[in-house]
Amino acid sequence: MTNLILRHGITVVTVLAFAFFGWNAQGFLSVPNLASVLVNNVALLAIAAFAMTLVVRTGGIDLSIGTAIDMAGLAFVAALRVNLGVTIAVLAGLAAAAATGGFNALLITRLKISPFLATLGTLFIGHSLQQLLADGGNPIYVTAASLPPAFQFLGHGLILGVHLRIWLVVILALAMALLLSRSSFGRRLTASGMQVNVAWYSGLPVDRDIALVYVLAGVICGIAGVLLTAGVSVYVPFAGNAFLLNAIGATFIGTTLSRSHVANVQGTLLGVILISVAANGLLLIGWNFYWQQLATGMVIFLALAFTFGGRRLAGGTP
Amino acid sequence: MSRPETALAPDEDAYLSLSGLTKRFGGVQALAGAKLLVRKGEIHGLVGQNGAGKSTMIKILAGLVQADAGQIHIGGRDLADARPRDVEAAGIHFIHQERMLVPDFTVAEALFLGHEVRLGPFLARRRMQASAQALMQRYFGRVLPGNRLIAELSTGEQQIVQIVRALLQEPQVLVLDEPTAALVRAEIDHLFEALNRLRAGGMTVVYISHYLSEIEALCDRVTVLRNGQTVATVDPRHTSSREIASLMVARDLNEMFPARVASKGRPVLSARALGDGRNFQDVTFTLHAGEVLGLTGLQGSGAKELLRSLFGLDRITSGEVSIEDRPFRARSPREAAAQGVAFVPEDRRHQGAILEMSIAANMTLANLARFSWRGLLRPRLEREVATRMISELAIKAEGPDAVVASLSGGNQQKVVLAKWLTRAAPLYILDEPTLGVDVAAKIEIYELVQRLARDGAAILVLSNDLDELVGITHRILVMYRGRTASSIPAATTSPAALLDVILTGQSEIAHVVH
Repeated sequence: MTNLILRHGITVVTVLAFAFFGWNAQGFLSVPNLASVLVNNVALLAIAAFAMTLVVRTGGIDLSIGTAIDMAGLAFVAALRVNLGVTIAVLAGLAAAAATGGFNALLITRLKISPFLATLGTLFIGHSLQQLLADGGNPIYVTAASLPPAFQFLGHGLILGVHLRIWLVVILALAMALLLSRSSFGRRLTASGMQVNVAWYSGLPVDRDIALVYVLAGVICGIAGVLLTAGVSVYVPFAGNAFLLNAIGATFIGTTLSRSHVANVQGTLLGVILISVAANGLLLIGWNFYWQQLATGMVIFLALAFTFGGRRLAGGTP
Repeated sequence: MSRPETALAPDEDAYLSLSGLTKRFGGVQALAGAKLLVRKGEIHGLVGQNGAGKSTMIKILAGLVQADAGQIHIGGRDLADARPRDVEAAGIHFIHQERMLVPDFTVAEALFLGHEVRLGPFLARRRMQASAQALMQRYFGRVLPGNRLIAELSTGEQQIVQIVRALLQEPQVLVLDEPTAALVRAEIDHLFEALNRLRAGGMTVVYISHYLSEIEALCDRVTVLRNGQTVATVDPRHTSSREIASLMVARDLNEMFPARVASKGRPVLSARALGDGRNFQDVTFTLHAGEVLGLTGLQGSGAKELLRSLFGLDRITSGEVSIEDRPFRARSPREAAAQGVAFVPEDRRHQGAILEMSIAANMTLANLARFSWRGLLRPRLEREVATRMISELAIKAEGPDAVVASLSGGNQQKVVLAKWLTRAAPLYILDEPTLGVDVAAKIEIYELVQRLARDGAAILVLSNDLDELVGITHRILVMYRGRTASSIPAATTSPAALLDVILTGQSEIAHVVH
């Protein structure tokens, strides 16, 4: 029983956060506010964090998820501006993000550079590339002439009264959960993440799988990049990097939910909600914006301390 | 066999004496009253199987490890509770197996690191150079330029630097731990010449080696350790290396080994003139269905590398291999497994099993295609097969969902074996299959090996446990310095005779059969 509560330390902290803000922040629990949190804070961060979860599951890390998001936005806008149509533009965005992931895959599996350094390099290269392509880093607006209804739908569309972004988060979450815990591919990734030598000695195609994961992570970021750009009708250079630290935070908060501390979809989703709710709640209480990251840091410490500290108390291995 | 327990070592003329040394590491008794008595001006060999206690003894002497009990004296001075610095001050210097030199230093810097000669506030570079060159010239008949980088030197030259570095401190006793493990023939000859000159100059040397031929050529006396105890101190001029080998192995074999399969089937693995261009060459052998072939050799003999190359872990550069008459070529374990090779690695925790994963997930890892349908896992089939394996192999576990970390070493090893059993491979390669496994699990693993052989699998076992090799294999392939020294029918040999072949590379009875 104690163990169950401890393992779900992050769930407890999330519930406490809801209770605290519900009590103290005017309007926090109102439907419009929660809906806005879901659409504006949770959705895109969740998608970016899913990409991170996939990579962390293999024992790696991807510091270039923001770059993939930005490259998708840039390619998406560029295609729209030359009137290629929304469908082609979306595909161009996803392809650009996939290419970013493919570049990581090349560095990591062929050149055997550690994921941290490889994706850090990609982050830097992506930064320069955006400055070069976007005229020193200026926003690129989607002009009025190129705004067909399909574009509006990507940014603000509703299906059965629910925002498109929410649908995509739900679909991605289900697909990821299936992939990670029910598929042969997911088992292989988990094995590589836990003990890559054993995976190799068991005859698993380790490099191929890991390369695929970085490309897949790129594509998932591409979805976030297209949605982000369509939502504000403008490509803002480096906008994607805002998601990086929160996605890492959410993913590692989420690992506490798993008995063997692997990154998992449910945990990541809870981590995303916790971080988003904390940001929104503090804003409503009237705390200065500058306190937000401090609060996120505290939430991470709290969730980790609760889980790992508690486990030590319960006599389990830390 | 007579025990040549020596009478020629009265304690009073020992210059360096270690006696009654006892040391326990957790559940392992590393030393149980071992002694080592070294006379002034002699080269004294120290031999024993892996785990006999040699390195523990040397670490205690160096002050790196504290003995639980025992006395250490040098020239009448008590060194029982000495720290490394005190030991060095007493004149005992060590040349360790691992080269303890900084690769980016020059020869001169490495030689005087920590012992710089000074003139007032300045380093006396010239004087340091001169004394180092003089020592090199005197003992090694050559000079290494002081400005060369350590990384540019050959292993043998690095060894010279290490020895000269020790000599600069004017030691009384020099301890060399496996000094020739990485040296080529000519370098070994140089080293021996230098050691002989040092002895002529009155130096006392303790020489630890696996190679009995070296002990024979170099040492005045040899102390043999077994199971943490000193078995004997002998004079190698009067005791043959075969007798020394027999002192090193325990001969009280109980009924550990199940009956071997009698029949031998078609050839499964045949290797012709195999080489990897570095560690082994010209290896030829055939392994049949139902046969258990042992493989052994010292570290650096090429046995390990040969085994790894047969699973695609290392490259084969010359010769041919075929498995069940199909040419075999693998650049990765994946390719090797696809061609019918199952491999149980030596390092269970890092190569064999994923400790945090369940037993079922580990058992299916090498054969996921069978346990999935259109990319999705089939958890029921997985648990069903795992449950069956658990009972067939008598794995003591709560069930298929228990994590492997919760099992004992022997049961973990059975899980690693089970991982490959679902594939029904024609060839099993086992690398030290019973390392760190308790006796009960050992016997069960031996039975499993015999069962696989009975079912028609061909099995290649690399082991340094000679009792095990003699007990469970049909034939034993001994590697020595990169070549197959001998192929010995297990029924006609003994652990002691086998060790002799391993150490010298020669078998007395010439039954070299391919």
